[in-house]
Amino acid sequence: MALAATIDLAWRNRVFYLFAAPFAALTAVFGLWPIALSIQVSFTASGTALSAAPAYVGFANYATVLADPLFLASMARTLLYTALAVVANLAFALAMAMLIDSPRLKAGTMFFRLALFLPVVTPDVAGYVVWRWLFDRSFGAINAALGELGLPEFGGIASVDTVTTAILIAELWHHAGFYMTIFLANLAMRDRALEEAAAIDGASAWQTWRHVILPQLRPAIVVNLVYATIQFLKTFTVVVVMTKGGPADRTNFVSYYAYQLFDQARYGEATAMASILFACVIALSLGAFRLVDREAPR
Amino acid sequence: MNHHLRSGVTTAALYAIAIPVSLAFLYPYWWMCLGMFRNARQVLGDPLRLWPEQFDMSVFAEIARIGGVDLWVYVFNSFAITMASTILGVAVTAMGAYALCRRPDLPGFRWLRFGFMLTIMYPYMLLVIPVYIVVFKLGLLGSYAGIVLFLALGPIQFFLFDRFFRTLPREVIEAGICDGASEAQILFRIILPMAKPVLATVALITFLINWSQWFPILVISRSPDTFTLPVALLSMNGELGASFRAIMALAFVTTLPVAIAFVLAQRRVMEGMAAGAVKG
Repeated sequence: MALAATIDLAWRNRVFYLFAAPFAALTAVFGLWPIALSIQVSFTASGTALSAAPAYVGFANYATVLADPLFLASMARTLLYTALAVVANLAFALAMAMLIDSPRLKAGTMFFRLALFLPVVTPDVAGYVVWRWLFDRSFGAINAALGELGLPEFGGIASVDTVTTAILIAELWHHAGFYMTIFLANLAMRDRALEEAAAIDGASAWQTWRHVILPQLRPAIVVNLVYATIQFLKTFTVVVVMTKGGPADRTNFVSYYAYQLFDQARYGEATAMASILFACVIALSLGAFRLVDREAPR
Repeated sequence: MNHHLRSGVTTAALYAIAIPVSLAFLYPYWWMCLGMFRNARQVLGDPLRLWPEQFDMSVFAEIARIGGVDLWVYVFNSFAITMASTILGVAVTAMGAYALCRRPDLPGFRWLRFGFMLTIMYPYMLLVIPVYIVVFKLGLLGSYAGIVLFLALGPIQFFLFDRFFRTLPREVIEAGICDGASEAQILFRIILPMAKPVLATVALITFLINWSQWFPILVISRSPDTFTLPVALLSMNGELGASFRAIMALAFVTTLPVAIAFVLAQRRVMEGMAAGAVKG
């Protein structure tokens, strides 16, 4: 009886199913099917993964991956890089948002916003190609400028010591404008009467910022934090364009490492890595949703 | 007076930060443009020069053919693939988000939303490889259709529509129902006219995002014949001995359309992207 009622309900609302059908088809064919396939492949032997009768090996690929010191190092490196990139991007974006939002900067606000946001829509490949050359030791403008100023040379992407900083700078250039825009949107919505009240109470600029403005930025901070964490966990393009995982594996992050395994037809292990990363992203997202939900009633 | 002086100094200090930072963000573009006109020897001799020695357009002869394919093929592919995936993606996502928002209670709709959320949580570059297998099974490998269909699905587009449909006043739809309008009439006569600005914003943002895509296109393509500009740029970047000038010129061609689109519609893009990220 429940089934008949369900079918009846669905038939009466068939127009909505008609609207949703193409969306459902794309989600199923280019989302859920590949994910299911990927999880299935992660339980098969690589050599047979794409054949008609794959050989199932249970959790062997997961065991191999989790026992691989290179993968564990890559995971640790990815988490460290993510932490660094999130802090650097959000701190910079917040500082720039406060600066641009300042009523003292009357002229040029739009120019500053445009300059910082343009890299966000610039194709990442094009941006990183340019940065790769900017960092070049003999060709690039960065070392030439440091030389003019009498400062020591910057190793850029060629040196083990500086490569992380170099790609952090390139990624900051590409992403920070986006986080800044979210901070700016939040700043525009804040209650300015509270700041006037604080001024009447004789609060210093720092006290006003710390106790009146910053708490109101909580929604933007949460969104940016979640978004940036997921973004940098997946760091990929900058590595493909600028460093190819080097020098000395310093930028061999999980997604790049997994991609290399795919390239070597080690499908089972690569998809096992994908599943592990997927689990991490789901756990992080759920945690973040909890955080946002708890804050919602405010 | 003292107060005025202090506030003047603060203002000057803020400009002293904002102007150099903005210029530093724009400098890579300037360097890219200069690079098109200067040969390797000139750049090596004076990397910081702010004006090219000569305006020499010969570099475009150098990039007229890349990897055995004419430059105009890449330009055509970029526009064709981006346009097609944008139109398809906006239409499909708008209808899907509308159905899911209007009747979230219908059987299966919760599962559809959940399935879509799972899809966008899967690490994108790792999704692309199993997508290769799916596209292969569908017989679409190396075809425009395979690329366009895959690019048509995107999170920001869905969230923007979702947000918009959720904020639609219920009374508007209920009034339509009372007047005896069919669902199709409600959609096309009432909702669509209201949604025009959102449609424009989503289309613009989807265009910018899809123009930048490279990995799915690289994976689904069978030859450079279906490469777009970013993919061509990437293959040139990896090529040994590709000239600096040629790479800068191709980066310029790849960037120019989005730079123009962005400058023409900056507010729409910035506000739309912020709204899409902060799903309400």
